[in-house]
Amino acid sequence: MSEFDVIVVGAGPAGSSAAIKMASQGLNVLLVERGDPVGSKNVSGGILWGNDLAAIIPDWEKSAPLERYVERKVTSFLTGDSEIAIDFKTKKFQEKKTGYSVLRTRLDSFLARKASQSGAMVITGVTVDALAMKDGRVVGIINEGETITADCVILAEGANPRVAMAAGLVGKPNDRTVGIGVKHVYKLGENVINERFNLRGNAGFAGEYVLSFLEGGVYAGGFLYTNKDTVSMGVVINMETLRKNGNTHSFDIMEKFAQHPFISGLVEGGQLQEYSAHFVYEGGYEDMPRAYGNGYMLVGDTAGFSFSNGMILQGMNYAISSGILAGEAAIEAKKDNDFSAESLSRYQKKLDNSPAVLDKKNFQGINNVVWSPMVHRAIPALLESSLYSMLYETGNPKKHLSQIMMKSLKSSGMNSKDLMLQGYRLMRRM
Amino acid sequence: MEIEEKLALLNYKTDPEYEHITINPKICETCPDHFCTFACPAKCYTLIEGRINFKYEDCVECGTCDVACAHGSVMWTNPKDSHGIKYKFG
Repeated sequence: MSEFDVIVVGAGPAGSSAAIKMASQGLNVLLVERGDPVGSKNVSGGILWGNDLAAIIPDWEKSAPLERYVERKVTSFLTGDSEIAIDFKTKKFQEKKTGYSVLRTRLDSFLARKASQSGAMVITGVTVDALAMKDGRVVGIINEGETITADCVILAEGANPRVAMAAGLVGKPNDRTVGIGVKHVYKLGENVINERFNLRGNAGFAGEYVLSFLEGGVYAGGFLYTNKDTVSMGVVINMETLRKNGNTHSFDIMEKFAQHPFISGLVEGGQLQEYSAHFVYEGGYEDMPRAYGNGYMLVGDTAGFSFSNGMILQGMNYAISSGILAGEAAIEAKKDNDFSAESLSRYQKKLDNSPAVLDKKNFQGINNVVWSPMVHRAIPALLESSLYSMLYETGNPKKHLSQIMMKSLKSSGMNSKDLMLQGYRLMRRM
Repeated sequence: MEIEEKLALLNYKTDPEYEHITINPKICETCPDHFCTFACPAKCYTLIEGRINFKYEDCVECGTCDVACAHGSVMWTNPKDSHGIKYKFG
């Protein structure tokens, strides 16, 4: 007889969502978190998209500690001298909110509190050292030599899943499957943020940037999100190109983004409150581990559920939805009193019909585009020189756009065949 | 702003009895790239007179060094119960 029906390792959005779902249906759940308080180990890339929390917390938009809803979404290329951006603002987001900026210490402690209120036992400041195994199945967790038993363990360890790795349930991360996330949080005050970003009330700004000004072939993306009275600014650094370069510090890339002429002004006068770093899961569909087995399920980043197509970074929404689906699977497995791999394969079936998996599947190969010379160098160079030529008054007769583009193309260092081919791939995969 | 000033803003509960990451100096001696010194966002790895100097106290537990080191020198574990970085915002 196990002490718990289910033990959940990790109280991020995935783990807490699973715990809320299961505990509210009467399962005997233990939620274990190594951070104390909950959320103190966690860092977000910023925006919680979607409405997945509604399934477990119907009033989440009122009760959860959300910072601002996204009203203004910017996708931008930064070169050394210029910014070329699509700045999309719509009243539609006011009526139907699509995403909120969040700070994880606040969101994660809220969700863990909900898990506790739903009847789960929540313990914080406890590091799970390993899984307890018996006859080829997971039977619990081990902390400081002591075993706590459960019929099923849900691993929600995030993007650096040491317990799942040690047990061989997921592969070791590599240059291609993780990016280095580095982040600043600045205190600016509510009024300054509203004025500077042209916002009212709790409307917010979400910007994603291609940092094409970086030298030495290093690729990185940037993000900037407004919170209530702070601003989150960060970079996601591609490990493959950082290694190839071999002479650039990750922390210098963050500082260079913060000092870019069209970024620094946005946080001018703000006081840096926090510096942080965290893995960003970058693996594709083909990198996803099997999400279930005898006595265990994987959720959130641990199962490979995060996604970026260059325009939007998503992770927390998939974490929540995969947590809920694993919770449902555990509830059904409990009814059958069967937590074998065969029984838990129902989790995979649920996942297969969910956006979490379908997005990964439909956007296979997207990372080759997101981290391509086309996106990181050619497009920004082409846009910059074309716009500059078009908008700058030389006093000479004007040229047609096609002539300007062809000239800019030459200076971007890409030939037209590559541009056509990569452009085609971009449109297909994005 | 220098990285040292940024790290000084952070709160840690340092475990004096357990270094959650250790390196094998023998492997580091023959390392041709010292990529850890470039990849680690908390500047825990520095090169002093040709030798890798590692301090676990500033670690923010991101996992980067474990991936960065291609030579098998880094032994990475989570800090023990409630120790390590304590973010206030996240």
